[in-house]
Amino acid sequence: MDNTNTAEKPAASEEGFGAAGISPAEKPTATKAASKAATKAASVTPSIPNYPRCVRIKDDHLARVLAGTEFLLFDGAMGTQLQEAGLEAGELPELLCLTEPEKITQIHERYVTAGSEVVTTNTFGANAKKLGSAATVEQVFSAAIACARAAHPRYVAADIGPTGALLRPLGTMPFDEAYELFAQQVRAADAAGADLFIIETMADILETKAAILAAKENSDLPIFCTMTFGEDGRSFLGTTPELAAVTLSALGVDVVGINCSLGPADVAPLVARMTEWASCPVMAQANAGLPSVVDGKTVYSIGPDEYCQALVPMLDAGVTILGGCCGTSPTYIAGERSLLDSRQPAARAPHNMLTTTSAQELFSLAAGEVGIIGERINPTGKPRLKEALKTGNFDYVMGEAISQVKAGAQVLDVNAGLPEIDEQATLVRLVEDLQGITTKPLQIDSADPKAIEAAVRIYPGKPIINSVNAKDSSLKTIIPIAKHYGCALVGLCLGDAGIPDTAEGRFELAQRIVYACDEAGIARQDILIDCLTMAVSTDQQAPRIVLDTIKLVKSRLEGVRCVLGVSNVSFGLPYRDLLNATFLVAAFEAGLDMAIMNPLSQRFMDAVDAWRVFNGDDERSTHYIEANANRSDTVSPVSGATDAGGKKSAAAETNGLSPDREPTAESAGTSTSGGVLSPAEAIRENIIAGRKEPVARAVAELLASAADSAASDASASTAVDASDSASDSASDPDASDPAASDPDASAPTASDPTASDPDTTAPLTIIDEMLIPALDEVGDLFEKGRFFLPQLMASAEAAKAGFEVIRQNSTADSLAQKEHIALATVKGDIHDIGKNIVKMLLENYGYQVHDLGRDVDPQVVVNEVVAHNIKLAGLSALMTTTVPAMAETIELLREQAPWCKVMVGGAVLNPEYAELVGADFYAKDANESAKIAAEVLG
Amino acid sequence: MSADELVIPRESLQIASVDRREVLRYLGHREQELTSEFEALLDETIARCLNVATPRMALRSFALANTESAAAVNDAAYGTTATAGEPAALRLVGSQLELVGCDIAKHLAGADRVVLMAVTTGNAIDQELRRLSFGNSLEQLVFDAAATALVERVADVAEARVRDWAASMQRFTSWRFSPGYGDLPLETQRLLLASLDATRQLGITLTDSLLMAPTKSVSAIMGVHAVPQSGMASSCSICSLFEFCTQRLQGRTCCG
Repeated sequence: MDNTNTAEKPAASEEGFGAAGISPAEKPTATKAASKAATKAASVTPSIPNYPRCVRIKDDHLARVLAGTEFLLFDGAMGTQLQEAGLEAGELPELLCLTEPEKITQIHERYVTAGSEVVTTNTFGANAKKLGSAATVEQVFSAAIACARAAHPRYVAADIGPTGALLRPLGTMPFDEAYELFAQQVRAADAAGADLFIIETMADILETKAAILAAKENSDLPIFCTMTFGEDGRSFLGTTPELAAVTLSALGVDVVGINCSLGPADVAPLVARMTEWASCPVMAQANAGLPSVVDGKTVYSIGPDEYCQALVPMLDAGVTILGGCCGTSPTYIAGERSLLDSRQPAARAPHNMLTTTSAQELFSLAAGEVGIIGERINPTGKPRLKEALKTGNFDYVMGEAISQVKAGAQVLDVNAGLPEIDEQATLVRLVEDLQGITTKPLQIDSADPKAIEAAVRIYPGKPIINSVNAKDSSLKTIIPIAKHYGCALVGLCLGDAGIPDTAEGRFELAQRIVYACDEAGIARQDILIDCLTMAVSTDQQAPRIVLDTIKLVKSRLEGVRCVLGVSNVSFGLPYRDLLNATFLVAAFEAGLDMAIMNPLSQRFMDAVDAWRVFNGDDERSTHYIEANANRSDTVSPVSGATDAGGKKSAAAETNGLSPDREPTAESAGTSTSGGVLSPAEAIRENIIAGRKEPVARAVAELLASAADSAASDASASTAVDASDSASDSASDPDASDPAASDPDASAPTASDPTASDPDTTAPLTIIDEMLIPALDEVGDLFEKGRFFLPQLMASAEAAKAGFEVIRQNSTADSLAQKEHIALATVKGDIHDIGKNIVKMLLENYGYQVHDLGRDVDPQVVVNEVVAHNIKLAGLSALMTTTVPAMAETIELLREQAPWCKVMVGGAVLNPEYAELVGADFYAKDANESAKIAAEVLG
Repeated sequence: MSADELVIPRESLQIASVDRREVLRYLGHREQELTSEFEALLDETIARCLNVATPRMALRSFALANTESAAAVNDAAYGTTATAGEPAALRLVGSQLELVGCDIAKHLAGADRVVLMAVTTGNAIDQELRRLSFGNSLEQLVFDAAATALVERVADVAEARVRDWAASMQRFTSWRFSPGYGDLPLETQRLLLASLDATRQLGITLTDSLLMAPTKSVSAIMGVHAVPQSGMASSCSICSLFEFCTQRLQGRTCCG
């Protein structure tokens, strides 16, 4: 094998914990002066600094600590010690390193005397943002490390706390800005002679990731990283200890743990949960309980003895590194010293599961269990998704994600591979937006390594990368990305000579990938081999080869998992779901772990549910019984899927984003109003009443009568058992479309015979003569105060349901799109609710809205306006402090896009203010914005 | 004052309900008839809001360092002395926070102590608002109103705690005065939140434009006085938006 990966082995310290647990025999050796030059020379991906990582470990003791075989004791609190000495609230304690270094050194000395091996520098908030003009980061770190050294500890830990700002999307700080703040601290600490980093009190997994990447990419010192959790076992941003342990140890931290917030008795169970999932040593630095002021002195609720007693369960669980946080003092540390001196590190056996995480959810799969990856966020063969990605209107994509999760997807594949768009930018935005609507982990799917790297870098968790293959070029670019960013990885059995047509041939490629991952230090359970499904219609041996390859991989490559995109197997044959589901079960039996599939296919999900019964995953068949107790044996649950390419039921497809999935018992031909009202009257009445489903039904009915051929199909597919909640999705043309998941198929989804010859008059009549007039009427009621805002919104949503039906039954260009409008909440403002209301109303009036989101940079607004020649922009600001950003945006628009009119709105604006900031129009509410749009754009 | 200072670095609260009428008021409801669908949405949304919220509060009292100058400032504010220009800032003992402006001086007239308060309903509320922002504008609107009502409830709970503490010393408190009210600069947020260690204790952060994230958070200053305070919280007169407030024109206020 002349082309094996030449990546240097990572530092031994990273391998102290094997898949099967701690192996004390493999003690790593200290690498006192790791040659940075050699590391760089071996690097195969120049874009990743310091890859492969080679940790500089000060001495053998620290090396053994990082292997989990020896204890290490940190110090206790700095802040509360300083407060006792008179530090004022709101004062920057870090500056004392410069102004009163002796005082700081004295505190360090007391900890060293008490038995601390590590002292933590007084630099918790020493970032450029917090220090401002008071001092430079370099000055503070240099002084702080000097203070620490002067106390003669065994190790000096450079302390790095959170930036103090919340990252996007919930806050406004960009990932890169957080990274830069941390990177500056890392470089300053390294230059000043720190021995290791302690990144602590983190609440946001994304900010933590920025700090870790900054440490890894700008230094080779060991990284200790602790997050902080509340009584509910979650961080302020919803992260759990398990999730943090999985994500952070995958990112390559050398120690993971918990600090602050809680006393030791409350931290103990949380940190014990970490020890089950971390692949590195685990540490804890608890508070001494809660403070109160008694006789003018701050006292903490837990004394030293009680504190040390509460540490015992942590040590039993396998925690090997201790210290203290708020309220602890040298007395506590002395107690901890004698506790550690009386014990040995406890054995640990971390889980050996496949894991992937989002910021709020851990997905884990034990050997033998099966999991589902939703495949539908992939534009291949999906015209509407293509359109959504091209225009940047992601609501449709979000709908796809929501419906897949509802149907049972546990991980979502995300692919933005369209030649005509900026894949990297689109993929990054998709990944960010999807986090907003689902907590399911994501699988980043791209053929472009740059797009993959950009997406996994800002992903707040441990994603799966789809994919690497056995070609040299792929192995050398993708594996470093997966290792550096802590990802699980899909490996395709595809080599320089294509896809081998024997199981042995494919297995060899799989083996090549796995060995390359071994060398890079990617754990076996994080590797998912895709044996590559081929169509049975072109080669009847093809499925057998896949099944045999799975068996070979599972039996000969210990710990490795298998993944498979299943649906290609049936390409070119009718009634595909039957073949797909049958093949899926065969693949499960062969050892398949994860299926990449369409969870909206009922037969697929039925097969998965049934397998989970036979496989023992669904204990006592609870889930199966729940899902199927009321299902009938006589009605085919997949009747919708049988009319492949047939017309889906418009009535069943209301608003894809609607949370309610009411069964559509009534056929499209029946009005809710008991047949008394004509469909036109029903539309008006239900829009005014704000009822979505009846509007959708009435519109569908009108469309059906306009196109006879559609009518029979529509009623046929709604004759589905009402209790079958997935019937609407099973009849989705995308779901049954042969091209849906086949990258080689070029047939568009619009194989629908009715859609290719639509009656274009009917839809326009419905819009112009029914939906819009009803909306106008509602607008009127709102203006007169007869309706309040939620009623206006409910009506708008009802009308939207009607538009949705029309859209789904028309080809993209048969409906004339009105003009484009750009909308944004201005820079610095994160209150976007008003803008969202305006957006929805304008969309209903047929405008194509470019929603730029909130906290939008002025230039971004201008760029969008220029790129699409937009004639009207709407800006919203809710706070007085963000009104200047509005003026700035308008000024920039005047300069670079003088043709564009600007309307503004928001709680703090009035007509005078609007004029003051230079706007053309003041919209006092959403209704007004629709009128302005009509005036400007017609 | 011999009693201990009030120090609640962080306390989680269980809030089981919010006033439905409050939520409707935030939604701009007056006499309009409500459909049963909307009522159901309202109830369901309020329930979910209460369910995902993690209400927390932090309270800490500080003695005023310069009460005598507060009185002078107060005179200046009322125009009873000839002193013109910027009044001197009020300083707190043991905090770097300084309170600048005539309105806070008036508010704290006669007080010898202040209590700093920060409350939040947590990031999960913002996460849910963001989730709803993708195509569920109506639900987002209603959820937002429910969350606003909730954070006010949390602030009420915190305020009651302060009142009890003051009462135990035969003292009285003034209403919650927040940075940005009147001429108290929004910039006050930074040191107010820092004095409560609010980022670490409650997860409250500030953006560069001085907005709090989580968005449903309240920070405020209450005075501790020897005599009962009659001042109303709902004083529109000092509001910087007084001139063009659309709510006031309709006979409503944003503060109850």
